[in-house]
Amino acid sequence: MNTVTEITAATQADSAPFFIRGKLVEGAGQVHRSRDLGVDFATPKIDLDSLVHPRSELPPLLNTPLSEIIDFLHEAGQKLADPNNPHIQTTIDRMAKVSLQPRKSIEFQLKHAIGYLDPKVLRELVEQNFPNPKALDEWVPHTDHQGRRSFIRAYAPRLIHVLPGNAPTQGIQSIAQSALVKSVSLFKMASADPFSTVAFLRTMAEVDPNHPVVQSMSAIYWRGGDESVERVLYRPQYFDKLVAWGGGDAINNVMKYVGPGFQLVSFDPKTSISMVGREAFASEQALVEAATLNASDVAMGGQEPCVSSRFTFIEATPEQADRYCQVLADQIRVDRMDEGTPRPLDMELKEQIDVLRMMDDEYAVFGKTDGRGVAIRSEEPVDFHPLRKTSNVVCVPDLMEAMKYVNVATQTVGVYPFERMAALRDHLASGGAQRVVRLGEAGPSAIGNPHDAMYPLHRFVHWMANEDGLEGA
Amino acid sequence: MGTNCDKLLSTAGTAHAYAPYEDVRDIQVAAINERLGEQGERIKLVKLRAADAGITEVKSLADVVPLLLPHTAYKSYPESFLTEKKWDRLTKWLGTVSAHPTDNVDLSGVEDIDDWVAACGKAGHHVSCSSGTTGKSAMLVASQADLDFAARDGVAAVEWGSDIRTGDLRTTAGAAGAVAYTPRNTAMGMAMMGAFVDPAAPRFNSGLPPVTIGSMTKMITLRKAIADGTAKPGEIAEFEAESSARQQALDAAQDGAVDDIIAKRDRRLYVTGMWGSLHPFAEAVRARGYSAKDFNPENGVFLGGGLKRAKLPDDYREYVYETFNLQPRFIYQMYGMQEINTSMPRCQEGQRYHLPAWLVALPLNKEGDELAPGMGAKDFQGPVEGRAAFFDLSMDGRWGGVISGDRIEIDFSPCACGNGSPSIKDDIARYADLEGDDKIGCAGTVDAYVRGLS
Repeated sequence: MNTVTEITAATQADSAPFFIRGKLVEGAGQVHRSRDLGVDFATPKIDLDSLVHPRSELPPLLNTPLSEIIDFLHEAGQKLADPNNPHIQTTIDRMAKVSLQPRKSIEFQLKHAIGYLDPKVLRELVEQNFPNPKALDEWVPHTDHQGRRSFIRAYAPRLIHVLPGNAPTQGIQSIAQSALVKSVSLFKMASADPFSTVAFLRTMAEVDPNHPVVQSMSAIYWRGGDESVERVLYRPQYFDKLVAWGGGDAINNVMKYVGPGFQLVSFDPKTSISMVGREAFASEQALVEAATLNASDVAMGGQEPCVSSRFTFIEATPEQADRYCQVLADQIRVDRMDEGTPRPLDMELKEQIDVLRMMDDEYAVFGKTDGRGVAIRSEEPVDFHPLRKTSNVVCVPDLMEAMKYVNVATQTVGVYPFERMAALRDHLASGGAQRVVRLGEAGPSAIGNPHDAMYPLHRFVHWMANEDGLEGA
Repeated sequence: MGTNCDKLLSTAGTAHAYAPYEDVRDIQVAAINERLGEQGERIKLVKLRAADAGITEVKSLADVVPLLLPHTAYKSYPESFLTEKKWDRLTKWLGTVSAHPTDNVDLSGVEDIDDWVAACGKAGHHVSCSSGTTGKSAMLVASQADLDFAARDGVAAVEWGSDIRTGDLRTTAGAAGAVAYTPRNTAMGMAMMGAFVDPAAPRFNSGLPPVTIGSMTKMITLRKAIADGTAKPGEIAEFEAESSARQQALDAAQDGAVDDIIAKRDRRLYVTGMWGSLHPFAEAVRARGYSAKDFNPENGVFLGGGLKRAKLPDDYREYVYETFNLQPRFIYQMYGMQEINTSMPRCQEGQRYHLPAWLVALPLNKEGDELAPGMGAKDFQGPVEGRAAFFDLSMDGRWGGVISGDRIEIDFSPCACGNGSPSIKDDIARYADLEGDDKIGCAGTVDAYVRGLS
C-alpha cells in the first residue's frame, strides 16, 4: 500500500530528493509518511526507466582500477567528514525527526561510518572477502591440476539494496561495498531514513560528478511492498541480486520475486544476547564491571540495531541476579546520548513489563517503564521482544544450559569473563549464532569479518569463468 | 454499583438508552469515578496504573486516559504459563486483571488449558479466549453478571437497530465456519437464538469441532518448538496433515451449508456471519443458480465485525444482500469488541453505530495516550477521528476501560436518525491494516524464521 497523500501536504513535509545515476532529482510529486514516527516527507515521482542500466552496456566501473575507486571513496570521505558539509548537517536534522534513535546517536554513527572510507579499511575489507582481489580488476589466470586453463573474474554485478531504517551507517557502507565490487546499484531507502544515502551520494557527486562510482549509483524511496514498483523492477533482466537488510513485510514481499537469475542475499533480522559467568560475583568490582559492559551492549543505538543485547543469560541465583540487575538498570538508564525526556514506551510493551512487576515471585523489574531503561530478572526468557533499552536477565545454572535459547536468529553473543568464549563458541555456532565477542564490545567489529555467516562482497559479485582448454593442447 | 452508574444502566432496554450526549456526559464521568472507587483497589493492574499516574479520583475524561487498558493487557501473561502448564501461575495472572479474587479456582485435575478455562468458569470466572493463531490469545475474564448483561443488551440492540423481533420464530442459516467457543459467544448466541429463532426449525450441523483455546494452544506450542529448534520433522508433518484434514472438513461443511440454505429458501431466515465468510458463501449459492428472487423478503441478517483483512470486491455488501433478498430494515449490523459487554447497533437512517448511555466514548489520539483533539472541552460536538477507546460501565468481572486497535470517527451531535447519542461512522478500520508494515530493520526475532504456521 502506497500512502500518497494530498500534494498540498508537501509544504510541511521535509524534502527527500532522489539520486539517479549521478544526478540529483528533486520534486514533491509524492508525500509519504515515515513508518515509525508518522512524519511526512516528500519525494519526486519515480521514473522507472531511469533506474535500470541496460545489459547491452558494460557497468561503468568495470574497468576502473580498484585502487582508483578506493582513492575516490577516500576523497569523498574527507568531504563527508567536513563539519561544514551542508548535506550531512541537513540530513542529521531531518533524520532526527523520523528516526527512533536520538540525534547524538545518529551523529555518532555517521561519524563512525565515514571512518569506513579510510583506504586502509577498504583495502582490508577487499582482502578479507577475496582470496585474490585482483579478480575484481582483471581476468585472473588459473590452471587446475589436470592442466585445464581458466581466467576468473569477480565481475561487476547489478544490485538492488533494500536498506534498513534502524542503522544510519548502512547507506555509506553499502555504497562503499557496491563501489568495491564495481556494481551498478539501486538503493531502496527506508521510511525511517529516506535522507542519508542521497546525502552521501550528493557529496560524492560534488567531488566528481562524472566519476564512474557516482554514475553507477541510484538511491530512491518507495514504500516497501509497493507492487507498482517491485513487480516491475525485481527482474533478472535488470538486476542480478537483491541485497536485503532485515525482516518484515519489505522482505517477505521480496520472496515472491526471487527466482532463476534473481537471487536474494539476505542479512536476516537478528537478536543479540549476552552471557555472563558466575565469575561476575567473585567481587563487587567484578559485578560492576560486568554489568557496566553489559549495559553498554544493551543501550547502544537506543537498542534499535541487531547487535544490541536484549537477553542476558547469567550463572546466578535470583538474589545474585537481582544485585546484578540493579547495577545493569542504573547503567542502562544513564542518558549518554543527550536524549533528554525519552518517548513513552509502546503501550503493549509497557503493559507486559508492568504485569511482570505484579508477578513478583517469579520476576523482578529494575528501573521504570518510562523509556529510560529496565532490567527484568526471570527464570526463562520473557516472550516479548525487549526494546527501548529493556534487558531481560535470565538465571541459568550453567551457561551451557543457555544454549537452548540460542537459535537461528541469534547474531552477536557478548561473553563475560572473556576467557570463556573459547569453550562456548562451537556450541553457539551449532545453535545458529554468528558472532562471539567480549561483553561490552558488540558495537565495534573487526574489518572485513564475515557478516551473517558469509563474506558479503564475495556473494555480491557475478563470478565468471573463461575456460581456455588444456595446457599444451 | 454507584448511583450514577445505576442511573445510566437503568436506561438499558428503554427509550432513554440512546439519550443525547449532553444529558449524560457529566453523569458518565461521575459514574467512572464510582467504578474506580469500587474496582480500583480490586483490579491489581488498574491499581498499579492509578498509582503510577497519581490518580485517586476521576474528575474529567482526561483523568480516565491513564487508567484505560490496551486490549493487549489481556494477553500480557507469560506464554510459558500456557505451554508449560503452570496453571497456578496463570490463575495468579488472571487475578491481576480480574475484579474478583481468583484464589477460589480449584485446579485439581486440570490437565490442559480447556480444563483450566472450565475450572475458572466453575469458580465464577468466565474466561473468553481470542483466536490468536500465530500470537498469543487474549484471555478476557467476565462474571456471570457480565454474560447476562451482554446477552440481554445484545438482543435489545438487534431490536433497536433493525426490525428483527423477539418471537419472529426464524430459521437459522449461514456459512459454516470453525467458530471460536467462548463463554461470551455462547451466552450471546443462545440469547439471540432464544429470542429470534424457532426452536423447532431445523438447524444445520456442520459437524466441525468447536475451536477451543486448547486446540489453538497446540498450534502455539508447536510454533514455539519450531522456533526453538526442538520440533522434530515428524511433528511438523503430523501437524500439516491435521491442518489439511481440517481444511477438507471445512470445505465439506461449506458445501453442506450451501445445500442447507437452499433447502430452507422459502422460510424466514436468520443469517449470521462475518463478511469474510458470508461473501464466498453467497458466491457459492449464486453458483448454484439461486439469488434474491428465490429467498424470503423478510430474511434477517446479524453482521458483526469488519472485514478482518478479508479481501473482497468493492460491492461485497450489495452482493450478499442481493443474494439472500435482505431488505435494509432486516439488516442488523453492530460494532463491538470482545473487550466490552455492550453492542453498538447501527441505525437505519444514519447508518451509524450508536453508543448507549452506559458506554462512555473516549476517542484518543493515534498513540492512545491522550484524548483526541477537542475531547473533554465543554460543548464539544465532534466529529473527531481517533483511536477507539471506551469505558463500559456495565463491566463487573474486569475493568471497563479499554483501548482498541481501531480507528473511528465519532460524532457527539444528534444523528440523522433522530437519536442524540454519540455515534460512530461506518468506516471503522484497524490502524494495523491502514499502515501495513513498511518497517525494515536488521533487528528481529526468530518468529521470522518459522514458516507455515499462520
